[in-house]
Amino acid sequence: MNTQAAEMLQGASLDFLRRHSPFDRMEPDALSFMAERLVLVFHARDSVILSPEMGQVGHLHIVQRGKVLARQVGSVSVTEYSAMTMGPGECFPIGAISAHRPSTNTYIAVEDSFCFQLAAEDFMQLMEMSPVFHLFCTKYIASLLNQSREQLQSQFAQRAAEQQTMTTPLGQLINREPVHVAPEVSSRQALEHMAQHRVGCLVIADAEQRPVGIITQSDLLERVILAGFDLERPVTELMTGAPHMLSSSASAYDAALEMATHGVRHLLVLDGDRRLKGVVSERDLFSLQRIGLRQIRAGIENAEDLETMQQASRDIRQLALNLIAQGIGSEQLTQFISALNDALTRRLIELQLERHEMQELDFCWLAFGSEGRHEQTLSTDQDNGIIFSVPEGADPDALKQRILTFARAVNEDLAACGFPLCKGNIMASNPDLCLTLGQWKQRFATWINTPDPQALLNATIFFDFRSLYGDELRSDQLRTFLLNRARDNSAFQRMLAGNALTAQPPLGRIRDFITDDDPVQPGTIDLKKFGARLFVDAARILSLRTGVPASSTVERLRQAGGKLGIAAEETSAVIEGFNFIQLLRLRSQHLDTEHDAPGDNRVNPERLNELDRRILKEAFRQARKLQSRLKLDYQL
Amino acid sequence: MNWLSRFVSGARPELPAAAAEKIARWQQGERTDPALPHFESRYVVVNTEATGLDLEKDRLLAVAAIAIEGLSLKPANALYRPLDDDPAEALADLLDFAGHAPWVVFNASFNRKLLERVFEARCDFEPEATWMDLQWLMPGLYPELHTDQVRLADWMDAFGVETFQRHHALGDAYAIAQLLMAALGRAHATGAINARSLIEIERSRRWSRRAV
Repeated sequence: MNTQAAEMLQGASLDFLRRHSPFDRMEPDALSFMAERLVLVFHARDSVILSPEMGQVGHLHIVQRGKVLARQVGSVSVTEYSAMTMGPGECFPIGAISAHRPSTNTYIAVEDSFCFQLAAEDFMQLMEMSPVFHLFCTKYIASLLNQSREQLQSQFAQRAAEQQTMTTPLGQLINREPVHVAPEVSSRQALEHMAQHRVGCLVIADAEQRPVGIITQSDLLERVILAGFDLERPVTELMTGAPHMLSSSASAYDAALEMATHGVRHLLVLDGDRRLKGVVSERDLFSLQRIGLRQIRAGIENAEDLETMQQASRDIRQLALNLIAQGIGSEQLTQFISALNDALTRRLIELQLERHEMQELDFCWLAFGSEGRHEQTLSTDQDNGIIFSVPEGADPDALKQRILTFARAVNEDLAACGFPLCKGNIMASNPDLCLTLGQWKQRFATWINTPDPQALLNATIFFDFRSLYGDELRSDQLRTFLLNRARDNSAFQRMLAGNALTAQPPLGRIRDFITDDDPVQPGTIDLKKFGARLFVDAARILSLRTGVPASSTVERLRQAGGKLGIAAEETSAVIEGFNFIQLLRLRSQHLDTEHDAPGDNRVNPERLNELDRRILKEAFRQARKLQSRLKLDYQL
Repeated sequence: MNWLSRFVSGARPELPAAAAEKIARWQQGERTDPALPHFESRYVVVNTEATGLDLEKDRLLAVAAIAIEGLSLKPANALYRPLDDDPAEALADLLDFAGHAPWVVFNASFNRKLLERVFEARCDFEPEATWMDLQWLMPGLYPELHTDQVRLADWMDAFGVETFQRHHALGDAYAIAQLLMAALGRAHATGAINARSLIEIERSRRWSRRAV
């Protein structure tokens, strides 16, 4: 065209950029690079500018004029805001465009708005040429990560979990074809139809499937039996006309509100053409609420039989999947799963206690391994044991037999609730793991004094114990004993450290990651063996060395770090690395369940987005740092 | 162009070869399809800068044009030509740039008439473009903002549209181009999906105003 015009219009863009941060600080050549490439676009009020469904982000958008609302998709926030409005000079979606992935937010113009667009390639080039812009974006991404790692208070998570279920669209709640009859049929035929299909509610709909009325079981007493209604009269005289209806995109909340407002128990759900799609009952909504944290908990605490417990266990899993899908942090999530599983185990124990007349016995149910550390993921088998004490005058062998029978029953109930029996027989029903306090001490002492390979392996499982039910005093005494013995025995610590160092973070010298040659899953990394375990093992050694009683990896790192005088930022960087790996593990299990494959801990770094790959690399670096500390401390 | 003016063209100064060629090319060009949806269409905002607003006395100083293609405005997709040194050349460049996309002006009664007169006088030819007038279209599309044929400044206020220089051919064109994008956005949302329906909106508005 002609350069004079282009220069003038670019000048207009430049004037705009210079009035807004961070562009006002940007280098002149970077600014003109931008001004040459910015394209102005209009977005009508209420129109969607960008959404996750649009796929990988193609442009950076800079609001030139108007207001844009960023709204999180899903109802558990990844960041601290759930909705945020942006005005002139603000840009989006920086995180997504840097990571070459779809946006996690939906952006909507809340006013008639103009936005400048910068193509994704130009955005990357600008990052390279402008240190100011690069810093701005990096800081922005860092703040996003911080927000996403921020602790969600359990209360918040609880509320969100409930919201999630109640925001489900009605269309998804309908699980059967609606039972309906034509208006022409007789009342008798209609009621027979109802009985035949065993439904509490019958819809009367015309040939176009448009509902004209409804009959529910509760109507029958008054309208038919007491009124002596002639069943040969048409159903239209019996039915309630103008039934309450909602569209299938309305939420469960809307339905609950509609039911409460009008005092009805059934609602008809219509599709886009206002044809009958299904019926939602009050009970459907109740069963939805069951999947909230509070409901699961109440369900567990009031359960009287194994079937109810099995349902609760499925609900826990479903809730966990929902929360993963919504991006909740791994530390909260594993604590969450752990808290619910604890409640479940306790209730199973209580139910079996009643059956086995164990009330007078003094014992303590222990959890080991990942359960002991509060780090259960979705595919964990059971690791448990018992400390019991023998009252004076009792026969220890007979007593132990009684306890073992009870323990076997609990182990089996746990298996029925989705915690597979332990392949290594690390279970309370194993006579070797159902011991008195003295015997446990003896056992721990042996492992510490003669740390052969088996003893070291045992240490990694059993030293991460905690009390789940019963007299906590026993487990506290055992812990004090363990910490005293282990702290004084640096040879044992050194052996444990040597053992921990046999697995190394899979960081390559040339490539970013070293992956497995595993023929079944080539190019993957086992995140349990070469990820989480590196942190867990190191944290255990640090806690034994510093006498920290905590059993969770994060707490161990925090407390031991404090005692060893490690800088707080350094410790939190390590913890963040661990949490990130745990999150990836949970995510891969989540995806696997959806594909119906057994949950495993493998991740293919090639399939991660740029941002996640970078964080994973950093997480492994933190593991390496932790390991070099062990090497240095124990001269390995 | 009428046959008479061609007949007497010898009485006027000869057109420079380059300009003549551009005009000839324009005359052979095909009009763009008015049924194409907005996002596949090209619209060209055409604007003038004159010594004043009197068609009889005032003189054209500069022409400017900005294309809106695929509903977006790229700074390189624009033209600005002062008329002083070589008016015919500038006008031919405008033809060349605008092509046969709809020519969008604000206040056709001045801009369009002025341009047609100057084309006639300098190039001995009156371009038969598809014209659109935002001054008439905007109140049809955004009746909640203004119902009458108000001034450009009023529409700029209503949308908060700014420009780098007012009363400058390209400066005003930049503001008009932003209003055009707003117009196309609203048009799309209300079902006026192509140039043809916009022309229809403008025509019926002019008609109903006349009837009043």
